[in-house]
Amino acid sequence: MSSYNGKLIRLNLTSRKSQVEDIPEQWMKEYLGGRGIGVRYLYEELKPGVEPLSPDNKVIMMMGPLGATTAMSVSRIALVTKSPLTGAIAKSVMGGNFGAFLKFAGFDGIIVEGEADKPVYVHIDKDGIKILDAAELWGLDTQQTHQKLRQKHGKSTQVACIGPAGEKLVRYAILISDLRCGGRTGVGAVLGAKKLKAFAVNSAGPLKLHDAEGFKKVNKEVIEGLKTSPGRIKMSDFGTSYLTLGFEKVGIFPVKNFQEGHLEGVEKIGDEALASIKTKNDGCYGCMTKCGQVRKVTGGTYDGAVSEGPDYETIWSLGGNLANTDKGSLIAADSLCDKLGIDTVSAGNSIGFAYELYQRGIITKKDTDGLELNWGNHAAMMKLVDKIGNRESFGKLLGEGTKRAAEQIGKGAEDYAMQVKGLELPAYEPRAVKGYGLVLATSNIGASHMYGRPRDELSGKKDRLTEVDKGKDIADAETSQATQDTVIQCSFGPVTGFNSQQRSDLLVAATGFKEFGDPAYVEKIGERTLCLERCFNVREGFNRKDDTLPKRMRTEPLKDAGPATRQTVKNLDGLLDEFYDALGYTRQGIPSEAKLKELGLDWVVKDIKKFSK
Amino acid sequence: MKLPPILQEFSGGIETLEVSGRTVSECLEKLDVQFPGIKEVLLDRQGKLLRVFGIYLNTDGLHPVELDSPVQDGDEIVILNFLMGG
Repeated sequence: MSSYNGKLIRLNLTSRKSQVEDIPEQWMKEYLGGRGIGVRYLYEELKPGVEPLSPDNKVIMMMGPLGATTAMSVSRIALVTKSPLTGAIAKSVMGGNFGAFLKFAGFDGIIVEGEADKPVYVHIDKDGIKILDAAELWGLDTQQTHQKLRQKHGKSTQVACIGPAGEKLVRYAILISDLRCGGRTGVGAVLGAKKLKAFAVNSAGPLKLHDAEGFKKVNKEVIEGLKTSPGRIKMSDFGTSYLTLGFEKVGIFPVKNFQEGHLEGVEKIGDEALASIKTKNDGCYGCMTKCGQVRKVTGGTYDGAVSEGPDYETIWSLGGNLANTDKGSLIAADSLCDKLGIDTVSAGNSIGFAYELYQRGIITKKDTDGLELNWGNHAAMMKLVDKIGNRESFGKLLGEGTKRAAEQIGKGAEDYAMQVKGLELPAYEPRAVKGYGLVLATSNIGASHMYGRPRDELSGKKDRLTEVDKGKDIADAETSQATQDTVIQCSFGPVTGFNSQQRSDLLVAATGFKEFGDPAYVEKIGERTLCLERCFNVREGFNRKDDTLPKRMRTEPLKDAGPATRQTVKNLDGLLDEFYDALGYTRQGIPSEAKLKELGLDWVVKDIKKFSK
Repeated sequence: MKLPPILQEFSGGIETLEVSGRTVSECLEKLDVQFPGIKEVLLDRQGKLLRVFGIYLNTDGLHPVELDSPVQDGDEIVILNFLMGG
């Protein structure tokens, strides 16, 4: 017995056929699950140069071996594809309940390929897998889609779906399950291009474990430790909103599209302000923290708006980044993004980009459909979110992402596009946390805060403003994140879950694979995953030139940012050298033959030689 | 009193120092006299401790009464920060 089902569903939407396949046991041992097995399939099955929104692209959705068990914060599903926003590998991890119930139905994952001739959705239950007509769902927002599918298949149906933004191919459209999102880099657009509106699962557990008693013993130890953990309690009480005020004080919280680091009135969108309108907690299957904060606006322009969030990232993207301190508008805009199915980080960043272009006169009311994009104008923000999600006029341009939008606008707009590899920067000012800047520069999916956390820098154990001796830390951080994404362990794992030894003990008890008992073996899987993602990108033409930061970070001294004031990133090249050396990559950012062989990726060597010429 | 590196940016790199006071709050007042601006980083406009920080007295967490907690000669006040975003 094992917590792996060992099976996945392959959906071919062109032929409207599904089949169930075995997942090779060797891949489970070498890639564990989630992001690891996801990238293994994608590398194997996708030819280089595939157009991301074409039928040739595939979406791999994969659970980890601990998913759907009673372990803490592990029932998450990895989404892997080629991104329509960046042209690079895309990975995102979605929480909620959907993944757990997919496992209860007997599957570890789904591969979506081809393209339907008209809208469809997929229903999975004990009677099988059906590809069904979605004409009545097409055009509905994500909440309406959930409601409709639950009316049809029952209240307990678990749903994951795209919104109108995915249907209309907004390049940062997401997949959403209840109030949990996945798909930064545009997984929702890839599904929309395939005309796949939703997944609906009806299933019942339980999962079988290799050693249920052993598993229970370790899990009990974890839960006892978490009950009184101050970090976990803080996450439960406030989610990540507790970071805003502290980060703003020390210059980490970017303001006005990264022009400065101080937000007047930030306390209006701080943790207490948002906690005052909290109605309940929400969270993922099998998590005792439930970090999601459901909040409701009472009174004012946005009376009645409800959202799960905003989290720290969205407080920034739709708040501080736009100099917007109206908390009602934050809730309303967050909710609208979820309904339309767009990534709040890229949406808010793209709107901030437009506001700065307006500030500088590069665009005017003639370009913005008459909207006055002045800092703090939340009414204009709401209209732009709606236009982006529905791909209307000026919103259609912003829905392309800042890189493409800047290229189309011209007039120097590129200098104000805060993106790396085409993915918009998140809520971390690279000039104020230099190690995090290196993560954003080197991440294989573009500027993602979920690609590695420089814990020593953020916790203050390391000086955040120095630019030497950080490459290995960041290589370790990215490896650690990749490992977590294969398990799949929540990114807040050290606070809301278990340590690496407990993780190994749980994995062995769940799967029976003795190899997982060594934490170093498990970390090696993370390194292999990270390396294979880089190989995927090398095959697509990426190399050192793409591991960079926006010009602003390298040349403009940061303004009004506490101790980080006047900082720039001066030594990115030196940091890149350190990072590549630590991972065994060449100074061109390409995995060396020796490293590929060490990681058991001999079969990739030929490709890398061919495509790195 | 022991300061995390993010506060050492205000103390000129000093990690451990002696302060006096009857409560944690009074100790912080003295700290701010020595290193102006440091209190502003720790507290919000209402004078409450920001949630990215935690204060420990001889390894015991003081939440939620950090500032009002009494201290005695020889006690060690440790300030930590919890900076992990999402």
